[in-house]
Amino acid sequence: MSATLILGLMTFLFLFFGYLGVPVAFSLMAGVLVGAAFTDVTFPAIIQKIFDGMDSEALLAIPFFLLVGELMSSANVVSRITNLSLALVGHVRGGLSQVVTVFSMFFSEMSGSTTADVAVISRALGGPMKKEGYEPAFIAAIIAAASTIAALVPPSITAVVYGAVGNVSIAGLFMAGVVPGFMIGFGLMIYCYFFGPAGMRRPRAPFRDVARAFKDASLPLMIPFILLGGILTGWFTPTEAGVVAAIWILAVIIPALNRGHIRLLPYDFCLAGLIFSLPLITIGAANAFGWMLAYLRGAILIAEWITGLAGNDPHIIMLLMVLLFTIIGDFIEPVPTIIIFMPLVNALTVAGNINPVHMGVVLIATLAFGLITPPYGLVLLMASKFVGVRFSKALRAALPIYVVFLGTIAFAIYFPKVVLWLPKQVIPESVGCFKNPSGTGYICPK
Amino acid sequence: MRIADKLVLERQRHLKWRAFDVLEMALMMLCGLLLFGFSTTVMFDIVTRTIGHPWLWLQEVTQTFFIYGIFIGAAVATRRNDHLYLTAVSEALRGTPRLVAEITIRIVVLGVAFCLVYFGYINFLRGFSSFRMPSLTPIASLYAAIPVSGALIALFTIEQLINGYRKGFDHREPPEALVEVAPILPISPGRRRS
Repeated sequence: MSATLILGLMTFLFLFFGYLGVPVAFSLMAGVLVGAAFTDVTFPAIIQKIFDGMDSEALLAIPFFLLVGELMSSANVVSRITNLSLALVGHVRGGLSQVVTVFSMFFSEMSGSTTADVAVISRALGGPMKKEGYEPAFIAAIIAAASTIAALVPPSITAVVYGAVGNVSIAGLFMAGVVPGFMIGFGLMIYCYFFGPAGMRRPRAPFRDVARAFKDASLPLMIPFILLGGILTGWFTPTEAGVVAAIWILAVIIPALNRGHIRLLPYDFCLAGLIFSLPLITIGAANAFGWMLAYLRGAILIAEWITGLAGNDPHIIMLLMVLLFTIIGDFIEPVPTIIIFMPLVNALTVAGNINPVHMGVVLIATLAFGLITPPYGLVLLMASKFVGVRFSKALRAALPIYVVFLGTIAFAIYFPKVVLWLPKQVIPESVGCFKNPSGTGYICPK
Repeated sequence: MRIADKLVLERQRHLKWRAFDVLEMALMMLCGLLLFGFSTTVMFDIVTRTIGHPWLWLQEVTQTFFIYGIFIGAAVATRRNDHLYLTAVSEALRGTPRLVAEITIRIVVLGVAFCLVYFGYINFLRGFSSFRMPSLTPIASLYAAIPVSGALIALFTIEQLINGYRKGFDHREPPEALVEVAPILPISPGRRRS
């Protein structure tokens, strides 16, 4: 059987089993194992590739970020972030829809997980928005769109996976994700202001109330500083920063703000211990799938096709990659997509002489967009389930919001200097700069 | 409700044997312990490195907890139906098509589980010739997690197959309540904008 046919069979089986209802990890494994039966690759080698996919030190960060998110949501410190968001923007036209966006901009910097964000925001603000008369479809759409910010800003789990698999600086991806992440956040706020429902009119919170809300939320708000501060100063790796953040919650936040929750901590650990295994077993399976794709020269075939169309023009290469990832992201989740297509991404990054951090951020933004597009917009699906509205209705309400994402992706492609400005200032090595041997400062690639 | 009781998921009760509840609970506790274990070892790793006396073996312990955590978690998630799904077309089906789809799903999972057990065991045996540094423990100690996980996945899948075939897969679940995580304190009464 030809390599193309085997790849087609593997992909078909993965999608067929996946959409039938087989868990993603097992449908990937089933596709790879059947594909391997038609090649010289042995089954133990495939099992080894699954194992190798998980056996990475950088991936150790995932459980800690998930633990931080789990502890933050179950320890009920979310109300303090909500109150702060309300005090800051509750009076702006759009009301609670503005609060949703600002809340997500804060909470994303603690959880790093879009699915954790959507669950927390839906539960914290879905009910009050319904009470205030917002359309359920709009509620689901705005919550889902705001939750995708977590895929971009630190400590994004998607960025951790991208960095670990693609050998790209995770800290660089974190920093470079800030501009597009906040562009989506502010874009959503502008959209809500001009085109969203007006919401209830509230008086502007007096400075005293804003200051009190900041004070109440100060302990949870330290988490992004711990995470980023540790990583940027070089004190911690992302994994260690996750541990320190978890210790901060366990030793300071919960005893200070919700002492009663201490007896429930074993439950949180058991749950987080289960939750972290789910993306990681999928990563292992996707690694085997990606390896087979590379072994059968599938990545090279697609790379040749793209460079045939785009030549070495980095913008056209990235536009075609965005198109490809938008289509793929409509069917598959970001994490397996990244791992399966990483050989292709690497080949095209070299072909177009693109900064790997720049390519990473553009693709992560595209995959974040895929979380709210049909037919498999995971985050929109979750939001519509939590809010209690049909997916098709939520989808219709989300359509105009796509403009914010498309604008952000286009900006990220065409203005790499803006996107890479922050990592260049803070951790120049992460974007390929090196110390000037004959003086101070850094020499950076153009 | 005790924490231990909360660890056994009541969703899809009709697909579960009560006898296996203890196993689910034990595996969930093990997941928690493994996460706690590697959190602690990473913390000690930072501390010992900071004070200039790194314990190199800590990284091996962390890796062991991490790998076992993934495979044990994947196994128990099979019983709880907690895995990541693309979507479940099967849930929209009724009657015989549903039965056929659900059985197909379990057969696929069972096939994968068999491969994890059999070929994972082959890798485990081969793992005695490679060693982890610095302790020189055979890498088989890590590979052992693969067949163990495969066996548990197979066990839970067989449980679901038998129960689903006998009682049917299609059972209406009680609706999940939209629990508000946080009471929103200062939402002041507003008035509708004109």
